[in-house]
Amino acid sequence: MATNAIKLLAPDVHRGLAELVAKRLGLKLTDTKLIRDPTGEVSFSIQESVRDQDIFIITQIGSGVVNDRVLELLVMINACKTASARRITSVLPNFPYARQDRKDKSRAPITAKLMADMLTTAGCDHVVTMDLHASQIQGFFDVPVDNLYAEPSVVRYIRENINFSEAIIISPDAGGAKRAAALADRLDLNFALIHKERARANEISKMVLVGDVTDKICIIVDDMADTCGTLAKAAEVLLENRAKSVIAIVTHGVLSGKAIQNINNSKLDRVVCTSTVPFEEKMKLCPKLAVIDVSAVLAESIRRLHNGESISYLFKHSPL
Amino acid sequence: MNNIVVFGGSSHPSLVEKICGNLGIKPSQVKLGKFSNGETSISIGESVREKDVYVIQSGCGHVNDNFIELLILLNACKTASASRVTAVMPYFCYSRQPDIPYTAKGAPLISKPKETYTFESVPGTPVPSMATTQKPRVPSDGPISSSNIDNTTTSESSNLEHPEPVRSSEGGDLHKSPSQSRIPMVPERKENSSELGSLFNANNAGYKLWVAQAGTLVANLLTTAGADHVITMDLHDSQFQGFFDIPVDNLYSKPIAHNYIQYNIPEYKEAVVVSPDAGGAKRAASLADSLGISFALIHKEKRSQLPKGPPDASLTSGGGAAVSGKPLIASVSSLALNSQEMRSSSSSSRYVQTTMLVGDVRNKTCILVDDLVDTSYTITRAAKLLKDQGATKVYALITHGVFSGDALNRVSMSAIDKIIVTNSVPQHKTVKFMGKDRVHVLDISQIFGESIRRIHNGESISMLFELGW
Repeated sequence: MATNAIKLLAPDVHRGLAELVAKRLGLKLTDTKLIRDPTGEVSFSIQESVRDQDIFIITQIGSGVVNDRVLELLVMINACKTASARRITSVLPNFPYARQDRKDKSRAPITAKLMADMLTTAGCDHVVTMDLHASQIQGFFDVPVDNLYAEPSVVRYIRENINFSEAIIISPDAGGAKRAAALADRLDLNFALIHKERARANEISKMVLVGDVTDKICIIVDDMADTCGTLAKAAEVLLENRAKSVIAIVTHGVLSGKAIQNINNSKLDRVVCTSTVPFEEKMKLCPKLAVIDVSAVLAESIRRLHNGESISYLFKHSPL
Repeated sequence: MNNIVVFGGSSHPSLVEKICGNLGIKPSQVKLGKFSNGETSISIGESVREKDVYVIQSGCGHVNDNFIELLILLNACKTASASRVTAVMPYFCYSRQPDIPYTAKGAPLISKPKETYTFESVPGTPVPSMATTQKPRVPSDGPISSSNIDNTTTSESSNLEHPEPVRSSEGGDLHKSPSQSRIPMVPERKENSSELGSLFNANNAGYKLWVAQAGTLVANLLTTAGADHVITMDLHDSQFQGFFDIPVDNLYSKPIAHNYIQYNIPEYKEAVVVSPDAGGAKRAASLADSLGISFALIHKEKRSQLPKGPPDASLTSGGGAAVSGKPLIASVSSLALNSQEMRSSSSSSRYVQTTMLVGDVRNKTCILVDDLVDTSYTITRAAKLLKDQGATKVYALITHGVFSGDALNRVSMSAIDKIIVTNSVPQHKTVKFMGKDRVHVLDISQIFGESIRRIHNGESISMLFELGW
């Protein structure tokens, strides 16, 4: 008889977050085996029956071999689909290619849309993600997308770890103003904005501060930290404007390229990232890094999704 | 050539150049690269609006990167209003099914990677054992008979020297390089039961291990990305065409292979085309037919063996009845598993892998034909069997020479005298490793160039399947 239980699946690399989520749900990760052939082709086998089960595939995609992770995920989804799973939910805290979300120049690919189509084609019935670079990406999908927010967890972190009465929330670019303003409202803090003119992707040019940061602890809030050039530059600008200290809180710490070097050389006190992207090994190289665990949010959302309860509670509250 | 735009992916630039050379056009401008976080970035340098776009990307190198690059390119062209987008994949990745052999219990058999290779020991070619001595000898023909005896004695001695076939799994050191093989490597021993448990869940005893295949997925992804048409060559399974909802043109390398054999193999009329496994028999037979020469087949099979009696006795399958000049059936046994292990695991059912050569290759030139060589175990094993059976020279004719892992090492140490391979996958490494004398690269750019021209002009391409190409 169909039990329709939750089955948690994770690829064989970066299982940390998945294991935390499983622990919180009181479950074990399903035994699976990804088989890579020397050329890189993958095939996948599941050691238990998944017929008529509620499948959640938790994938952390960081920097490096993004395409390998994406194809592995697609193969896993497809494997569950062909194995007659009832519903397959892809839990992708950091949505890959999220920044390729528009045709910013002629004939540029909208890879985020392609990713959405590929997930649907593979057989994904539901997507859970966190702090999408642009929430409009939800519209790229033909299946429901639950875009969770790291904000409640960030609010908790700030309340517990930072003397926030002297703090001010900074948005490092105009695009993030809304996110920063919302956080400032939640904490009842002031808010400032750095305006930058970006020349090319992964490169930064001159920056202008809008607002007063004198003698304040500046908390830079962004959804993604890649090479961290922007963050380092922003910290300099803030300190030039007589800020007391600068902390960065970022949802997705992709930290690629020279990020570690940039952070170590920068005037940032601390860079806090959520656990959507695996960066444990980078923490050893960079003492300024800290982590906010979001496994509770994901676990709770999985529980609610499985039981057909509302998710919106999680948009404002951070479960313990 | 109006309105045609050809883009090359980063997998095989030299083939792109050659195909465009055949079309008399230049590859269109496209910048391929990666963002610092490893995501693929492309930017297309020319207008493709209302154009007929061809994107050439072979499934080689870093397969997943190249495949996603292809998908993004197709999608970018499609969203930039190209009138038709065609994916040209000389080697189609994810087209084959990894074969996982099972033991009676359902656990996969293990192949153990070896550190060093010699002509004799690698690749664990099944050595003719006692069964071969029962082969019919020709009493009137003295020299052949003596050579037959010589052959069996040498093979027996090699049997003694190498009592363990490569497929035996004997130690716990097997999982040191799991990426080397398509087959998950798990030692089937009791002390490693935790390892086994991770593969085969003991709590789900009724559940049989099952490996998901990406075939349909890859087909669907290409369609989703916006491909209107796919051109490929020598698909591993021709059924693969059925996975697509869009037209797939499967080209054949047979005409150029035929051409090469005709003009470059001396006395090819006396040669034998050999298929290294039953799956490739059709391909090999059709080449043999078109050349008008004979054909042989190497057949591997796993048989349930009777618990009693000597291992080889039950395997001589009617070989003794054959008369001179008729095909020999040399039944050769190679134990698929360490026999001790088998006894410990199950007493009643034993499986033995037999390798049979169906057909006569004695004193003949052999042309091994296979569509894909990846780990090269099959083809090097086949070459050794052929040499053991008295073949004078062994050519290997391969469409897609992927040669992953230490395959090149294995091939160069093997009994193969010459490799003939197409450039569907870059072959400069093969040529460098094996030397120009042992490798001949067949150029397929002309076939692809002509098929693109014909598809663009709406002409038939069936003529490319015929000879003269």
